[in-house]
Amino acid sequence: MLFEEKIGLSVANVLEYYQGNEEKFIMAKSNAGILKVILPHIFAFGLFIMVVQHFLLFTGYKKSKQFLVLIYASFTTAFLELVSPFFILQGFEVFAYVKLISFGLLEFLLLYTFALLFRCIIPRL
Amino acid sequence: MRFTLIKDIKQDRAMKPLLNGLLTFMLLYLLADIYVTKMTLGLFSGAISETLFGNMEEFIDPMDSGVFLEYIHGQIFFMMMILLTLSAVYARLCSKKNYSMVLINTLMISALLSLITLALTYFFNANFLNLYIVTYFLWHSVAFVMTTHALWNLNHDSSI
Repeated sequence: MLFEEKIGLSVANVLEYYQGNEEKFIMAKSNAGILKVILPHIFAFGLFIMVVQHFLLFTGYKKSKQFLVLIYASFTTAFLELVSPFFILQGFEVFAYVKLISFGLLEFLLLYTFALLFRCIIPRL
Repeated sequence: MRFTLIKDIKQDRAMKPLLNGLLTFMLLYLLADIYVTKMTLGLFSGAISETLFGNMEEFIDPMDSGVFLEYIHGQIFFMMMILLTLSAVYARLCSKKNYSMVLINTLMISALLSLITLALTYFFNANFLNLYIVTYFLWHSVAFVMTTHALWNLNHDSSI
């Protein structure tokens, strides 16, 4: 909801948010401004992924390949989500897609982790 | 956390990538934090005193006490989280080394002092500024060393 409210869920919205739009009086973001916003997210993402996914070690998924894929995919998408705005500012508009896809994928992976955890706590789910 | 209980982290194929990810994000955080501090507060005495106390010649207003308290409030929270997590990971991965305890204590004391001296500089005496700068760089350097050391031990040291 916050992402949708602040940035928007379309490529045009993402580009407009970072590169600005003179007609709508939207200022372009600066590298310094983006770094200031992502700073708390860098640590929060790392810690959140680590804490949530380490609970899977207590479950039957401990030795599954799916768990490993989940770990690597989560950290990679989190990294792409954090760095893509810098590339958008450099004019690589394709990174607007990267931003949206990595955001969606990260949300999905974390929700999927929660679903696996709930499934282990409540086996009937 | 579970990693404090696992006997052989290197052999644990799930815990190892999780800790690698966490430590890499911590390194990124420490580097980005220095850049952000440079842009917001300043890194050295001239820039910091200009931000905190303003500069009449250049028409720069001093920092409002509400803004300062908000800044330090955020700093306390994030430092608390990163120090706790980093110390726990480091103690687990590098506790066999004699200097580990010295590093952890230096990190904690210098980080705490940097917060206290920044508040003292703003509210009481500008002479605390140099102490703030020393402790700020000290805790960042020690945290950087601890993170890279933990990463190295996680991936190379066979004794963990």
